[in-house]
Amino acid sequence: MIKAGKPAPNFVAPAYYQGRFTHVELSRYREQWVVLYFYGGDYTFV
Amino acid sequence: MLSLSVDSVYVHKVWNESELSKMVPGGVPFPMLSDPGGTIGREYNVYNEDMAVDLRGTFIIDPDGVIQGYEVLTSVVGRSTDEIIRRIHAFQIVRESKEKEFTPADWKPGMTVLKPAVELVGRVWEMWKPVRPRE
Repeated sequence: MIKAGKPAPNFVAPAYYQGRFTHVELSRYREQWVVLYFYGGDYTFV
Repeated sequence: MLSLSVDSVYVHKVWNESELSKMVPGGVPFPMLSDPGGTIGREYNVYNEDMAVDLRGTFIIDPDGVIQGYEVLTSVVGRSTDEIIRRIHAFQIVRESKEKEFTPADWKPGMTVLKPAVELVGRVWEMWKPVRPRE
């Protein structure tokens, strides 16, 4: 259950980053501000 | 900044190369994450079962891993990156002040911050007079 003021659920996900395929784990971004930016799909319009 | 959709990393690669790099010099500068089946989207309550996609959810997470704010839009209206950046600036100022300073409504970087204290109760109007042009 997501709530403001509560810890963000950790996850590991495959990622594309600057020409390479990699994996990203949210917890490795401790000590930094993070924006998670969900969207509907690649090649959509908005 | 981490973006997420249900698309595969292969589609992310081709989208970046074929389209996004024509809008953003050098291409997308942050990791584009793949969320097949909306596993992460479900955890964050932004997955739309009917359309099998993640909705436009934006989550601001602080250096302790705590969600400081989020918003979710349906698929028809895009977000304001200026507003996301404004919110992060505001959260950073509050955090740096160890929550001694708060940012009022419509605050922008460079404007007055408020220091909550007994004396301020009922007197915010003296401190905070944002002038907004009529539209």
